Amino acid sequence: MANDPSYECRGLRADVGSRRGPRRLVLDDVSFEIAKGEFVSIMGRSGVGKTTLLRTLAGLHEASAGSVVRFDGQPVSGPPDGVSLVFQDYTSSLLPWRTVAKNVELPLEGRLPTEERRSRVAEALKMVGLADRSDAQPHELSGGMQQRVQIARALASQPAALLMDEPFGALDALTKADLEDQLLEIFAATGTTVVFVTHDIEEAVYLSDRVLVLDGTPAQIVAEIPVASPRPRTQMLTRESSEFLEARHRVHEVIFGT
Amino acid sequence: MTQRLRFDSLLGLFPLVLLLGAWQLLGDPESPFFPAPSSWWPALFKLGQGDKIIPAILDTVRTFGVGLLGATVLGVALGLSIGVSRTVGRAVGPTFEFARALPPAAIVPVASLLLGFDETMKVVVVVLAALWPILLNTSSGVQELNPVLLDTARSLRLSRRRTLFGVLVPSVMPAIVLGVRVATPIALVITLLVEYLTAVNGLGALVGDAQRTFQPAKVYALIVITGVLSLVVNSLVRSVEEAVRRRRVGERR
Amino acid sequence: MLLALAVLWEVLVRFKVAEIQFLPAPSEIATAAQDALAGGELLGRIAHTLGVTILGWGIASTIGVALGLLLGLSPLAYRYSMTSFEVTRAIPPITFVPAALLVFGFSLKMELVLVIYGGIWPVLINTIGGVRSIAPELRDVGRMLRLSRLETIRKVVFPAALPAILVGLRLALSLCLVLAIVAEMVGNPAGIGNGLISARQALQPALMFVYVIVAGLLGVALNAGLRASARALLPGNVVKDVAAP
Ligand SMILES: Nc1ncnc2c1ncn2[C@@H]1O[C@H](COP(=O)(O)OP(=O)(O)OP(=O)(O)O)[C@@H](O)[C@H]1O
Ligand SMILES: [Mg+2]
Repeated sequence: MANDPSYECRGLRADVGSRRGPRRLVLDDVSFEIAKGEFVSIMGRSGVGKTTLLRTLAGLHEASAGSVVRFDGQPVSGPPDGVSLVFQDYTSSLLPWRTVAKNVELPLEGRLPTEERRSRVAEALKMVGLADRSDAQPHELSGGMQQRVQIARALASQPAALLMDEPFGALDALTKADLEDQLLEIFAATGTTVVFVTHDIEEAVYLSDRVLVLDGTPAQIVAEIPVASPRPRTQMLTRESSEFLEARHRVHEVIFGT
Repeated sequence: MTQRLRFDSLLGLFPLVLLLGAWQLLGDPESPFFPAPSSWWPALFKLGQGDKIIPAILDTVRTFGVGLLGATVLGVALGLSIGVSRTVGRAVGPTFEFARALPPAAIVPVASLLLGFDETMKVVVVVLAALWPILLNTSSGVQELNPVLLDTARSLRLSRRRTLFGVLVPSVMPAIVLGVRVATPIALVITLLVEYLTAVNGLGALVGDAQRTFQPAKVYALIVITGVLSLVVNSLVRSVEEAVRRRRVGERR
Repeated sequence: MLLALAVLWEVLVRFKVAEIQFLPAPSEIATAAQDALAGGELLGRIAHTLGVTILGWGIASTIGVALGLLLGLSPLAYRYSMTSFEVTRAIPPITFVPAALLVFGFSLKMELVLVIYGGIWPVLINTIGGVRSIAPELRDVGRMLRLSRLETIRKVVFPAALPAILVGLRLALSLCLVLAIVAEMVGNPAGIGNGLISARQALQPALMFVYVIVAGLLGVALNAGLRASARALLPGNVVKDVAAP
């Protein structure tokens, strides 16, 4: 049982488009497995279908008939229990009329007693370093802080898998480096599986155990690059290590050719 | 795509058709309350009154048109001066706030007493009611204008006239058109109301007459006619707005 | 400014600079107001109009919000009924006055029906617009956090659409007042609208002006009341649109 994968996809096909308009095949025959407690990044050109793939894993997008998508051994249809998604756009995925703490509490309401909710919220906010801003309104926070609120909300339900869609894409380089390290700490502390979509090769290699590259129309997985750098990782030392450089080189090669 | 849209809007008529169908089946042509829809149209021409309809529509359209035009001219002029000059804005602010809150319906009896039952009175009331959305949209349009635009005009040493008609009016045009679109149904409603209350001419007077003489079928027929008139007028104004917007987008390219 | 206008008006009428038949001077209007207040008639009429307006508005808002949520959330309901609503809405509510008079007679019922009918539209249209313009991400958030359908409506959809709904409520309130006054002028013999007509028939222009001013003040007061309660009941970032003049 312990060796069961967290996610398992076989021959995944997915198309997009309006219900009655023409549909376009975006993913065709995508297959991979993600082990429990593994950190996997998904990379690829803009528009290749990364978000579509992540939404399919999250149960927000329905895969075409015949595809196999399993989470924890169960076929995915609708958002499965134990999966949290961090959306790319934090401005429209936080509820602006709720305080930071209330936003984080949302997925717990009606499911846990008040006491436990409070402590979970406090814990999640502490993990992302926002313990002192719990009563703020989202619009009073910087972009990086808002994204951390979203991460805290995703963590509050103590997910077995955390799906993240370019969570740091809109942030400046310093904030981004900060949040990457924070995410690695959370990853180490909780042991959750992470599927991380990004545009940034360095970021993918720095964070992951494995980088999957999507390419083609419709897209398939064209490469799978393991990153051997030991954990815990640190911005300076890891980025200078030979394992990091080698993995980065290989990803670069796959994406841009030689 | 447009084909699909057309078809979809027809689907949306389903409940209305259902309602009218049920009404037709269950309604009685002689009912004092709900005569069947099939009896509406003939009721218009009963007693040789069919020739009153067209003049009534024309009367209504004229009062409405003149009133809306007057409201537009006055609203844009006032809106521009309030928007440009903060002093003017502050001086007239509270007065306008109150005047805007006056229910137009309440003005009709007073206006008819002071001005008599003539066309001028009707137009005055329509203008007073339809003025506000145009005025407010224009003045806030001016206030939201990028200040760089006016600085540009000044640095180019444009004359006041040039600045007004070459820079200011074209830039707030979308806001003005939006105001006119909001004012259109108001102007039509108030036109009908004045006609109904004064009972002199127009569709409003005609429907009031039908009610006072207990001709329900005719009342419903006239409701349908005003509805169609209102749909036509609204879509006309909307296509003007669309045209203005399209020209804007074209400019930007 | 208001004061200056009043003084100017008084002077013009007193010294017959401007001679318009039936135009009372502000001082005459003030006297008429005092008389009407002393007799208790004015307050009674205000209470009637205010009561019908608020009651009708409350019912219209409830129906409008409920129907708006349904049409905003269900594409099926929207597809199969929206055009009907658009077409019906285009008919100016004033033309329904004669029909309402025929069906309900000169009664309170007629007044209330008219007020409710007219008040539903702005609430309905704004609620639908508010719900349909919610960012799709926000709906996904609701699903992702595994909120139930009812929870999603209560905690995500309704609050997100609230600013738009409030705009509709505000428009509806002014409209309900106008329609109540119209109904009183031509149908239900009570309230401010009827006061206006009676004063006109009795050729008391000063009293007419009193009623017009009272109607205006009622409009201002209702609007201010709505704004104040919105501000008191809702968090600050939601009420911006209602609080704006
Ligand atoms: N709702 C939709 N309707 C039509 N096409 C869509 C829709 N959503 C996505 N697409 C198309 O599907 C393809 C994949 O989109 P997706 O958002 O998954 O790309 P992505 O890899 O996440 O891109 P990015 O890196 O820019 O976020 C794109 O070509 C896009 O145009
Ligand atoms: Mg994407």
